[in-house]
Amino acid sequence: MSAPGLAALTPADLAAARAAHPGAFGDPRRRAMVWGGWGLALAYLTLSLWWFDIGKLFAASDRVWSLLAAFFVWEDMANWQYRQIYVGIAQTLAMAFLGTLLASVAALFIGFLGARNTMPVSVMRHAVRRILDVLRGVDQLIWALVFVRAVGLGPLAGVLAIFISDTGTLGKLYAEAIENIDRRQVEGVRSTGASPIKVVRYGYLPQVLPVFISQSLYFFESAARSATILGIVGAGGIGMILIERFRANLYDQVAFVVLNVLVCIYLIDWMSRKIRERVIGEVGR
Amino acid sequence: MAMDPVAGDALALFETHRADLLRARRTQTMMFAGGFLLALGLSIWVSQFYPGKLGPGVPRIFEYLATITPDLRLDVLFAGRDAAGDAVPGSLTYWYVDLPKYLGLLAETVAMAATATMLGAVVAFALSFPAARNLAPNRWLFVASRRLLELFRGIPEILIALILVFMVGIGPLAGVLAIALHTAGALGKLFAEVNENASLRPVEGIRGVGGDWFDEMRYGVVPQVIPNFISYTLLRFEINVRASSIVGFVGAGGIGQELYHVISFYSDDRVLAVLILIVAMVTVIDLISERFRIRFIGREAFV
Repeated sequence: MSAPGLAALTPADLAAARAAHPGAFGDPRRRAMVWGGWGLALAYLTLSLWWFDIGKLFAASDRVWSLLAAFFVWEDMANWQYRQIYVGIAQTLAMAFLGTLLASVAALFIGFLGARNTMPVSVMRHAVRRILDVLRGVDQLIWALVFVRAVGLGPLAGVLAIFISDTGTLGKLYAEAIENIDRRQVEGVRSTGASPIKVVRYGYLPQVLPVFISQSLYFFESAARSATILGIVGAGGIGMILIERFRANLYDQVAFVVLNVLVCIYLIDWMSRKIRERVIGEVGR
Repeated sequence: MAMDPVAGDALALFETHRADLLRARRTQTMMFAGGFLLALGLSIWVSQFYPGKLGPGVPRIFEYLATITPDLRLDVLFAGRDAAGDAVPGSLTYWYVDLPKYLGLLAETVAMAATATMLGAVVAFALSFPAARNLAPNRWLFVASRRLLELFRGIPEILIALILVFMVGIGPLAGVLAIALHTAGALGKLFAEVNENASLRPVEGIRGVGGDWFDEMRYGVVPQVIPNFISYTLLRFEINVRASSIVGFVGAGGIGQELYHVISFYSDDRVLAVLILIVAMVTVIDLISERFRIRFIGREAFV
């Protein structure tokens, strides 16, 4: 069968083909809806950019360039207070470590209270879950702001902010890990007449501990990232130094600090991947 | 004879081997425990996290929580304004007297997130094709777009917002641009991964009929990946609503600016009022977006 050229097609042929294969020609209504959707999105984008005063970006282009240049031209490096900068970075890492550790310990208990198979009282379980939702629903930076008001400027507020928001997430993840375990090991331990504490120790923990450790390591990485900005609201760490340099227009030092932080975060990611591979036998991410 | 070892020898061999294994394992555990304790000690020392400081700190948290809790009185809880047009102390109207202002700021926050998500998704879309290993037209473009995406998502958005506030001034524009940049980096990586998993057969078909690289992407790859792109973009929108509610802390617009103001200058029940609104907004947006995501992916799955 030879295919006729496109010119040989008559409108009647087209109509017949359209009737025979309605799917092949596309639905004009559907196409109109798709194009309408894109049109609406474009209209919204234009309108909102106009509303947000996009012109300011172009009006400020001189400032943009001079500021960008200030990031890359490093002056007076001998007088930068390196000690202060590195203490700040160490403080950030310490905040992340302590916050995640405390959150993991808290989540260990809360996880058992929030899992269906270990907490038969459903009212209690739902109460625990809803509290975790609230802890998680408020952003870490907001917690930091609240704790700075409550306990004053400094790393304590940062540790507490990481602790509270990570407890919300880790508690939920731990509870889910506990719900997903193999029941047979627990029943085996229980059938030997072990006490409830021993059932948890030998029935549950060996199954969930690798998951717990792996998740806590992920959260340590993420906390190290977020702890760098907690200082912007005064909760200790490198962020406080960063915003102070900003206010003093020392943009070259800001760039230096950001570079150092990025290197540290990269190192932490690498180390935590190594630990996961060694201890838990996870390969890759 | 080697084939007939004395039973005691085999047992001894087993025991020494077992002892070696146990010792190796114990050394490893001790090393990890030692490293852990060292890290713990250093952390406590560096961040000055001593019980002496924590002791007086914890009661202060509860004191603060008490100061931001409103004095609601049950008998006048739903009372409106009195004859003089003033709200009754202890009523919800009194607590949320600034509600119209808050609602305006919430709308601004959601609008910021939507605009930033769209801008970021457009940039991510454009960069995701050269940043996909199997689709990149050449190696240099691949490496360059990968590095660019990493740079965009490596710096926290609130830091970009801080820089942009210094560049373009206080207001939502800085927040929108900051979130858009971060979104471009984060979404670009996800989009590129989706592209790498796309089937190359349609691409080869387009190439076979003489299409150039743009035709291959437009007709070969895009139809395969668009449902995933939209799903990721909606997910990112949820994340961006959270982000745009906090970029205001550095002056980049949205409800965060009001929260920062209220916490820094008043520290009374207004703090809790704004916090409740933020949590409610985030929850509602999550629910709506989740519904859309399921509907879109579900519909696409049937086609």
